[in-house]
Amino acid sequence: MSAAGKKAIGAPGYGVVEWISTACRFATDRNDFRRNLLVNLGLFAAGVWVARNLSDFDLMSPQPII
Amino acid sequence: TSSSGVVQGAPGLVSVPPGFSMPSVPPPSFPGQPAGETGSPLPNPGTYEECHRKCKEVFPIQMEGVRLVVNKGLSNHFQVSHTVTLSTLAESGYRFGATYVGTQQTGPAESFPVMVGDMDNTASLNAQVIHQLTSAVRSKIAIQTQQHKFVNWQCDLEYRGDDFTSAVTLGNPDVLLGSGIIVAHYLQSISPALAFGGELVYHRRPGEEGAVTSLMGRYTGNNYVATLTLGGAGAHATYYHRANDQLQLGVEFEGSMRTQETAVSFGYQLDLPKANLLFKGSVDSNWVVGAVLEKKLLPLPLSLALGAFLNQKKNTFQCGFNVTVG
Repeated sequence: MSAAGKKAIGAPGYGVVEWISTACRFATDRNDFRRNLLVNLGLFAAGVWVARNLSDFDLMSPQPII
Repeated sequence: TSSSGVVQGAPGLVSVPPGFSMPSVPPPSFPGQPAGETGSPLPNPGTYEECHRKCKEVFPIQMEGVRLVVNKGLSNHFQVSHTVTLSTLAESGYRFGATYVGTQQTGPAESFPVMVGDMDNTASLNAQVIHQLTSAVRSKIAIQTQQHKFVNWQCDLEYRGDDFTSAVTLGNPDVLLGSGIIVAHYLQSISPALAFGGELVYHRRPGEEGAVTSLMGRYTGNNYVATLTLGGAGAHATYYHRANDQLQLGVEFEGSMRTQETAVSFGYQLDLPKANLLFKGSVDSNWVVGAVLEKKLLPLPLSLALGAFLNQKKNTFQCGFNVTVG
């Protein structure tokens, strides 16, 4: 009874752990097409953000004098 | 005019004193036309193939082995080239090329007809003829042979309207066998920045035929171009950004439902004309890192290109260099 009660109390925690481990397995499974698609879409968005925000520098500007 | 100096108008018109003029009457607006619309024409959107090209040109091309290219212009219209290639992966050999540009000038840097051909030491030929038939119609014929056998032959026709471009390509038509490929492109300007288009590919062989369609959208900003192509074959998205005169960046996404693969590439191009230097670098999601450095060795009419590609996943490395004279 007490063991069943303990299991009932720990069920939500056990569900969260199960969800986290499923998410980790999904994120690291290189053979999964959906996972690769999501990762690459995220990389594409990150690349566009970098191109738009981190590329405004002038290579031929004079060096700062310290 | 009357004695008081007032100018008498024609019957029905108001008289005004000398030195004054009637205010101008706005043109009558027709139903359906919003007031103030000047009706400025939409620009021609270019060709379907060019939409992704700006981004693709930022990426370095994989080089392997040694290549020596000697270009010689014999006149304003005719140029020949000699190419010697030494390679471990591909066939080493010699290639002779010739380019003829005609006298029909249609623009500041465009003259027609253009004939380009090259032949290697095994007598394999690549040839193209491009001609502007009318002010809006351009045609192209391309042929590729492997020694004496015809491998590819195609003909295309392109029509450029005021705000659209359409093209039809006929590839490897064989009337006796009943086979061939037809590709149709259409690109329409919706606004000065937005263009939509589509592609239809129909192929036929004895006992088999099929068609693939895809749709494309392109948005052009002040210093960027974003293009997306969606079709049965998959998705292709490119983003090109011109940060300044020296730096251009490109991001490319490709996904195929058929092969269940996706890939992202990030590339950049540094152009330093004061240093006669051009550098292109790229990195992609398949753990391939590559770079090409091009340097003009002025005052000699010589340019040197060094390239290297490293595949971290497969542990392979390729490098090459090209010398171009003329």
